[in-house]
Amino acid sequence: MIITDLLRARVFGPDFLGFVSDVRFSFDTSSIGQPAQLYGIIVSPHARSSSLGFERSGVRSPWPIAALVRWRHRDSFLVRWADIERIDVNRIQLRKGFERGSPSLP
Amino acid sequence: MTTASDDQSPRWLDVHLHLLDRQVLDVHGVPIAVVDDLELSEVPAGQEIPRDTSPPVITALLSGPALATRIFGGRPPESRMVRTPWIAVREVGVVIKLSVGRDTQDLSWTERWVRDHVIGRIPGGRHTPKGEHAQSNDRGGS
Repeated sequence: MIITDLLRARVFGPDFLGFVSDVRFSFDTSSIGQPAQLYGIIVSPHARSSSLGFERSGVRSPWPIAALVRWRHRDSFLVRWADIERIDVNRIQLRKGFERGSPSLP
Repeated sequence: MTTASDDQSPRWLDVHLHLLDRQVLDVHGVPIAVVDDLELSEVPAGQEIPRDTSPPVITALLSGPALATRIFGGRPPESRMVRTPWIAVREVGVVIKLSVGRDTQDLSWTERWVRDHVIGRIPGGRHTPKGEHAQSNDRGGS
């Protein structure tokens, strides 16, 4: 699988929830050479596009662009890998009772 | 593999923000490609994923003719994408630095082919022009 199979895919819980706007990986810097694991997907209800780096919690400028991008990606949420039930072409199904996390980067 | 920031763990990589379209430099700092896509380890697609399934990992950076498919949709043929194994990635920052030279990567095969089969057959094409080597040393090897 390649990452563009996941990006912009439509995400469903019981109903349509949004689009995959980004995919988050994690890795442990204490172990050199450790692969980056898929941590979760960021689901945006209104936009398929990237949030251009404004998901970083401290980025607020330039404010007109930040405001526009945050508005387009309002109500975005992070879904962890464990809550993904099925991946099909351009469609991701989440498990019942999945948890919505904050999409902000620390 | 590290990031350019501090070494607290774990660290996060967002695909759009940190990886896609980043320039890839070899161990000598020579630009060799940009990241057009990422290859993941096997994901059970088209079927239910058991809850305890290990998350997929990045296995390679992919470079190739991805512009048209980004605009018009679809995906480029797998044979046209060139892989750089993730294990060769040394640092992810403003650019992605590899721990290997470009001659060990498939990414630069066209450049090597032209060098060996075209440029190398032109008289004088197999060595650095006289004086230029010394001048570049005077400039600090740049």
